[in-house]
Amino acid sequence: MKESITRVPTGSAEYSELVQWLYDEAYLLDSGEFEQWFNLMTEDISYEMPARISVMPKEGSGFAEHSGLFSENHSSLMARVKRLQTEQAWAEQPRSRTRHLITNVVVDRMSSGDFDVRSAFLITRARADRVSDTFTGERHDILRRAGSSWKLARRLILLDQTVIKSHNLSFFF
Amino acid sequence: MNTEATGRSSNELRDRTNLMDLVSEKNAYVSRRVYADPEIYELEQERLFRRVWTFIAHDSELPKPGDYVTRELAGEPVVLIRGDDGIVRGFLNSCRHRGMRLCRADKGRASLLRCPYHGWSYSKTGTLLGVFAKELYSPDHLNKANLGLIPIAQLDSYRGLIFGTWSSEVPPLEKFLGDMRFYLDIYLDRTDGGTVVFGIPQVWDVETNWKFAADNFTGDNFHLASTHGSIVQLGLLPPDPMAISHGHLVRAEHGHVLHFVKGPPDPSWEYFGLPKELVPQLERNLNARQLELVKGHSFSVGSVFPNLSFMQVMVQGDFESPPTPFLSFRQWQPMGPTSTRIRSYLLIEKDAPEPYREASYKAYVRTFGPGGIFEQDDLENWEECTRANRGKIAQRYGLHHGMGIHLPVDTSFPGPGEAWSGAYGERTQLAFYGEWQRWLTDATPWTR
Repeated sequence: MKESITRVPTGSAEYSELVQWLYDEAYLLDSGEFEQWFNLMTEDISYEMPARISVMPKEGSGFAEHSGLFSENHSSLMARVKRLQTEQAWAEQPRSRTRHLITNVVVDRMSSGDFDVRSAFLITRARADRVSDTFTGERHDILRRAGSSWKLARRLILLDQTVIKSHNLSFFF
Repeated sequence: MNTEATGRSSNELRDRTNLMDLVSEKNAYVSRRVYADPEIYELEQERLFRRVWTFIAHDSELPKPGDYVTRELAGEPVVLIRGDDGIVRGFLNSCRHRGMRLCRADKGRASLLRCPYHGWSYSKTGTLLGVFAKELYSPDHLNKANLGLIPIAQLDSYRGLIFGTWSSEVPPLEKFLGDMRFYLDIYLDRTDGGTVVFGIPQVWDVETNWKFAADNFTGDNFHLASTHGSIVQLGLLPPDPMAISHGHLVRAEHGHVLHFVKGPPDPSWEYFGLPKELVPQLERNLNARQLELVKGHSFSVGSVFPNLSFMQVMVQGDFESPPTPFLSFRQWQPMGPTSTRIRSYLLIEKDAPEPYREASYKAYVRTFGPGGIFEQDDLENWEECTRANRGKIAQRYGLHHGMGIHLPVDTSFPGPGEAWSGAYGERTQLAFYGEWQRWLTDATPWTR
C-alpha cells in the first residue's frame, strides 16, 4: 500500500531543517568525520546503489532491481567506517578528498511521520595527482525524527553513470 | 613468425627487443614492459585478442528470442542476438552501409535490427532484409545476399559462458578449454539447473593493464594478508598470514590455471560453504574426483586464458553474517595499453534456496566490485603497479615471480593438469605469461 504523502514547501521551517541536515551530513563526509556520520544512521538503515545499464526508453530506466554496487546495512556500514580507521585501507590511504554538492531538494512528509527527501548530487573525488572523478545522480532518503534531530533510515542512490569511470568507490554517497 | 618488410623478425619490437626475452617461465622472469608498452599492446590485440577465444556474455543474459546484448570483442563492437530458433548468433555491431552501430543499448529486445542512419534492416540471423529506396539501385549494385551482418567467425558456449573469436583457424571452443572443462564444471555444472547470472554485471573502467588483474586471479592467494590487511584488522580474515596457504595450485591446458584453498577443519567450510541442501545435487552431478575437490576446499580462484577469471570464495562483508560463499566470473577487457574495462558477474545456482541467493548477493556486493571492501584496495594496487611500470628506467629491471617454483609436481592431486601442493606460489602466474608469450610469438599457438 502506498503511503499518503504531503509536500513540505520550500522555505518552510521543516524544509530548512531537513536541508540543513543534508548540508551537515555532506560536511561530515567531506571532512572525513566518518564515525560522526555513521551516528546519523538508524539501526535499520538500508543503503543501496543499484547497478544500471543503458536501455531504450520502452525498457525503463535501466536500473537492476536486485543487483547493485552497494547493498549495505548497519553492520556493513560499520565495517566500512572501521575499515577506514585501520592502517591498511590502501584505497583511502592517502585519503581521497571528496566534495558532496547536494541540491534540488524535494521533501515529502509520509503518513508514518518519516520524511521522504529527494535530492540531486554532484560528488567529486580528488585523489593524489589524478584527474578528479565526478559522480552525478539522485538520492532518495528517508529521514526519521530522533530527538531534536534526524536519522537516516534509508538511502537509495541512483547514479547517472552506467559504467563507473573510476577504479573504485571507496567513499560514501 | 614471419619477417616483415623492415627486415627485423616479427618477434622483435622496434627497439630490437625480442618478445621471447620479455617472459621466461624457466627463470621466473616477467618484463615490466608487458604492462605498459603501446607497441606490445598492438601486437597483443593482433596476435592474441583477434585470434583467441574470449568470453562475450552469459547465456542467461538473453533468455528469449529477440533478446540482444551489445559487447566488444577484441575492441570491436559486437551484438549477440537470440534467433527465433533459440540459437544465439553474434555479429559485428555495424551496418554494412555506413558502418553505423546498429544496437546502441547495452541490452534489449528487437524483432529485427534496423539502422538508425538510413534504415537498412537485418534479421535476427543477420540477413539484410531491406534497404531504403531499393528501386534506385541496379540489381548489380545491391546484392543483398552479400550484405548481411558480418558474423563473429566462431561463436560457441560452454555451460552458459558464450565465447567468440574473430579467427576461423583456432580449434573449437571445447578443444581450446581442454581439461579446464573438468574444473569449470565444478563451478558451473554442479547442480541440476546449473548457474545463472544474478542481476546485471558491475562494469567499471580502470587505469591498469588487463594482465595485472589476470595475474592476480591466476593464483595470487598470498596478496590477501597485505592487500586486504584492513579486513584482517577488522577480524573478517584470519590473523595468521599462512592460514590460507594450504591447498593446490593447478595448471590446466592452454594457459588456463586455478588454485584451491583449504579452509578450517570444520564441516561448514566444506563444499565451498554451499548450502547443505545442494550437496545431494553435487553428489549426482560431479564425478568422484571433482567431488573430492569440492568437499575438501573452501575457496577456488582461477582464470580461463586470457582474460576471464573466476572466484568461488567465502567472505564476510559485515560483522553479523557468517562467512558466505559467492561465485563471480569477471572479464578484464583491454581498452588500451593501460586501460581496462572490468565486467563482474555474480552467478548463482538456479536451484539455490532464496535466503542463500540473497546472502550470497550481499556477501559479494559488500566485498567485491568497485565499492567492495576487498576489491577497492586491489584496484589501488593494480593502477599504481601499472603507473610505476611505465617508466623506461623501471623497465630495465624485471619483476619477481619466483615463489614456490622449486617445488615438485604433486602427482597425487585428483584433477587433470599439473598441480603443486600449497596454495601460495607463482607457478600459475608464470604459466599464464608463458601462454601469453606463445600467442604473441607462435603462428599456431594452439598446436603443441
